[in-house]
Amino acid sequence: MSGLLILLVFLLTGISVQTLLDLPVPGSIVGMLILLFVLMLLRRTPETLQSTSRVLSPLLPLFIIPVSVGIITQKELLNEHGIALLVILAMSLIPGALVCALIMTKRSDP
Amino acid sequence: MIATLLHTPLFWTALTIASFLLGQRLYQQLGNSAFIPPILTGIVLICVTLELTGTSYQTYMQGGEYLHLMLGPVVVMLAVPLYQFIHAMRKEWLRISLAVSLGSATTVGTAVVLVHWWIGDQAITATMATKSVTTPVAITLSEQLGGISALASAFVIVTGVFGALLIPPLLKVTKLNQPQAMGLTLGVCAHAIGTSRAIELGTRESAYAAMAMTLTATLHAIALPWLV
Repeated sequence: MSGLLILLVFLLTGISVQTLLDLPVPGSIVGMLILLFVLMLLRRTPETLQSTSRVLSPLLPLFIIPVSVGIITQKELLNEHGIALLVILAMSLIPGALVCALIMTKRSDP
Repeated sequence: MIATLLHTPLFWTALTIASFLLGQRLYQQLGNSAFIPPILTGIVLICVTLELTGTSYQTYMQGGEYLHLMLGPVVVMLAVPLYQFIHAMRKEWLRISLAVSLGSATTVGTAVVLVHWWIGDQAITATMATKSVTTPVAITLSEQLGGISALASAFVIVTGVFGALLIPPLLKVTKLNQPQAMGLTLGVCAHAIGTSRAIELGTRESAYAAMAMTLTATLHAIALPWLV
């Protein structure tokens, strides 16, 4: 439970910082970066945070379902552009994947 | 009685949890295939139920809100794996940073240009920019960017399924399929769904995929709001 409280405290801090500085980055991301910074200072992850992460991570998709169901409010848009969007999503993967894999490929020196 | 139930917010909360669990069961039954992620089954089941009962999204969301609320803390929680990855990638940080930033910029850039050129709708273009980011971050981001959050999650899921399907054969054909290249590419281009595909391929692949997914999401979350 204390892990969840830590997350909420950092989330609220992130939201406050975002509002205060009028940042275009979402408050939860700001909170995440502040937490990351704190972890780097601590040089370890507290056990309570680790156990909360183990419990919550597998549930992540569940928390996304409600917003995703909102797709039913976009039927007109999908009727009009659905196929084009599918084609774009598939095509745009190819150049990105090649750039990524090329950079990561280690050449064995002759 | 059924009419009352359909207007009770907690009924929809319960049904969402049930659909997710059913999706998980189906996923396990089919040998953890990356092509039927539990979230997809969950979404389809809820959408079909809403259509059949003629329930509006607003009514559903009164119950869905309880689960949606957890999105904020879960995004903050990404700092935990990110910290571990940053620690682990010290030796190769330059190569990894380059691959993550240039690779993801290429795929997102291509998609954004294509949407702008083909469809030309501002909100869809803004939403498309979030397509390579893991869903919780994409939803939060698209709200910030003036996109359509419901569409963001559809783009992300479709990208993930396509990526998991296309990337392994593509890299095999081009002989770029060393474990670290395969894993990182799946993580950058197909986020969580690509990562679950990478788990099937091996431990090196899955470690690189999980790292790449988290790095991509963070990088985009910071950079996109300034660019769009």
